[in-house]
Amino acid sequence: MPPDNDGGVRAGTGGATALTRETLTAMTKAELLNYARAVGLPGRSKMSKAQLIDALTIEAANETTLPDESADAMLPIPGISREDRLEARVRRAGLYDRLSRFVDQNRRCGWRTIEGHGCGLPNLSGSDACVLHSGRDHYDVAVPATGRLGFDTWPTLFRHLHLATYDVDPIGLDPVIHEMAWHVMNGFYFDYFRVDVEGIEHVPIDGPAMLVANHGGAALPYDAAMLSLAVLNTSARPRRVRVSATEIFNMLPWVSHMYRKVGAVYASRDDARHILEHGGLLGVFPEGESGFMKPVWQAYHVQRFGRGGFVHLAEATGAPIVPVAILGAEEVHPAVAVSKRLAQLIRMVFPQQRVEEVAVFLNPIPLPVRWHIRFLPPVMPQHPNTEPDPLSMLERSEEIRRSVQNALDAQLAARGTAFS
Amino acid sequence: MRRILVTGAATRTGGRIIQHLERIPDTEVFAVDDLDPVERFSSHFERLDIDQLSFARYLLDLKPHTVVHLQTVDRSALHGANRAHEETTVGAQALFGAIGRCTTVRHVVVKSDGAVYGAGPRSPSVVTVESKLERSGGRYQRDLEQMEMFVRETAERHAHVDYTILRLAPIFGPTIRNPISAYLTLPGVPTLLGFDPRLQLISERDALSVFLHAIDHPAPGTFNIAGRGQLYLSRILRLGRRVPQPLPKRAFHAALRGLAGTGIAVPKHTVSLLKHGRVMDTTGMTSILGFLPEFTCRQTTMVAYERVPAERLL
Repeated sequence: MPPDNDGGVRAGTGGATALTRETLTAMTKAELLNYARAVGLPGRSKMSKAQLIDALTIEAANETTLPDESADAMLPIPGISREDRLEARVRRAGLYDRLSRFVDQNRRCGWRTIEGHGCGLPNLSGSDACVLHSGRDHYDVAVPATGRLGFDTWPTLFRHLHLATYDVDPIGLDPVIHEMAWHVMNGFYFDYFRVDVEGIEHVPIDGPAMLVANHGGAALPYDAAMLSLAVLNTSARPRRVRVSATEIFNMLPWVSHMYRKVGAVYASRDDARHILEHGGLLGVFPEGESGFMKPVWQAYHVQRFGRGGFVHLAEATGAPIVPVAILGAEEVHPAVAVSKRLAQLIRMVFPQQRVEEVAVFLNPIPLPVRWHIRFLPPVMPQHPNTEPDPLSMLERSEEIRRSVQNALDAQLAARGTAFS
Repeated sequence: MRRILVTGAATRTGGRIIQHLERIPDTEVFAVDDLDPVERFSSHFERLDIDQLSFARYLLDLKPHTVVHLQTVDRSALHGANRAHEETTVGAQALFGAIGRCTTVRHVVVKSDGAVYGAGPRSPSVVTVESKLERSGGRYQRDLEQMEMFVRETAERHAHVDYTILRLAPIFGPTIRNPISAYLTLPGVPTLLGFDPRLQLISERDALSVFLHAIDHPAPGTFNIAGRGQLYLSRILRLGRRVPQPLPKRAFHAALRGLAGTGIAVPKHTVSLLKHGRVMDTTGMTSILGFLPEFTCRQTTMVAYERVPAERLL
């Protein structure tokens, strides 16, 4: 029997304390591996049990070994320097540390399904249920169900997914699938795009708000994912950003349900209103398709913000608008041309879709651009709960567009190259 | 003596509503349908085509106080599309025309269907009673729309009538045999490859009690009726331990046509529901109508697949 059976070692919090050789011998190999990961032992996955015990004894004797020096265990990513990888590791550890405080590992959820399956996830701190069974709050705040993110939590997550022990939200958000996507996309966020976030204090901790950002990407909406992760990973309260997606998402196989399960909503007035009236964070890319398909020579020239419908919605619901300048998305797949022929092809497959132009890019793999996301001070609604006139809607949307454009220009002038 | 006229008495829900109404003292129930009832009840049953003038005359002679209109189900598989269309629209015209003329009628409870909203790529994720209707459900959706229009016009023109329209989510339960429950309880369920619709359900027990509730507590208006929560189709099938058979579009439609041969005719409006799904906003049901379903969507599913006895949940 391992002496520390209450999760202290396995949770990684007691990882720094030295264990004697006897204690290590009594542990199973899986526990040894967990412990080895907690102290950052290099080459642990290829070791036998005896080798693990030896290495961990040495590791425990030599406590000055920092996890950072195990960088040789990292898979190299072309275009990303070793320093960046180490920094990403530190940032990730900071995030995991913060997230672990949201749950209480010592108290377990006693919820049971009607057919008799127990829950057993750790309770939220200060609550008597886990995040999946504590009520409606998990649609707004995303706390990892086990208190951690990682592939080793996926068996637990799959169990809850398979038994359908929790409810999905009316729009279709599945908190477990969202958590898996969060973990996978963190690889892009920390290691590949090395996203740097500024002004997160402008995103309200509570209540409705609209995040209005510039759009880019040409191939996939990376910016929607990174915007969501920026709020999840840096805000004091990890709130979900419900990004709105155009109707083509509803027509594409697999995309049609996956985009809902990871928390996006359909870009319609009803959906946006539903999110804001329930006090959620709505992410909007009002440039729409003309922003997404920008050719590279127009990168960071923010297009017109549609008809300014988002201003109307913010006024009607009294939600503040937080303009967001995203530097990075528009260079990930530099579009060398904009084709009308390809658009015709798409229209043949999806006759309901009004695609006019499609961006043509040459790199199938996204470029390792260093991203900067800057949240700007919120714009409060001027006359809440009234109908603004069409001209003032255009004026205000232009004002917000210009503030995003100015922030982008300042960020562009301040940075060196896109990759450094 | 309160007289209640029930149309659509041949449906399972209709028959059960009549059985419950019969037990209320001081109530006389009259049942009408153009098919023979499946459920047994002792009330007076008249076999009439509701789109004929003879039915209107029957109603005028009867002078009922409450009318429960349930003959709005999609019977196109049984009668053919044209006959079903006439039954829904001309039937509604005859019924509500007669109700307008018959001054004893105080309250009309109408069974409509969530299908009236349609289901498509442009429908909002959560449809409310005020939502713009997406035309995708084919003829049945148009017929329901017209039927509801007759109800509203009658209530507007004649001050003596109040109406309650109930737009029900698909009824699901262990004994009901409507197309969607027959489809969901197949051992291998054909689904559309790459699509996982969000669905709401109402248990057969709640579908019955919502009508009894609406008859007893007249609340004018249109209400969406569904159990609490919503489920992806994949979750419903997992809860029911059914194996989904994902098929590409053509094969999916062919499989559904094949099912029609075995007596499970999945109507067109349900086919679009199985692609895009639909979730209705049910705040009006609880706040204005004052009805709270006993079963959530998940419980409805577990009961319908007989994995949990209904009695254990009450």
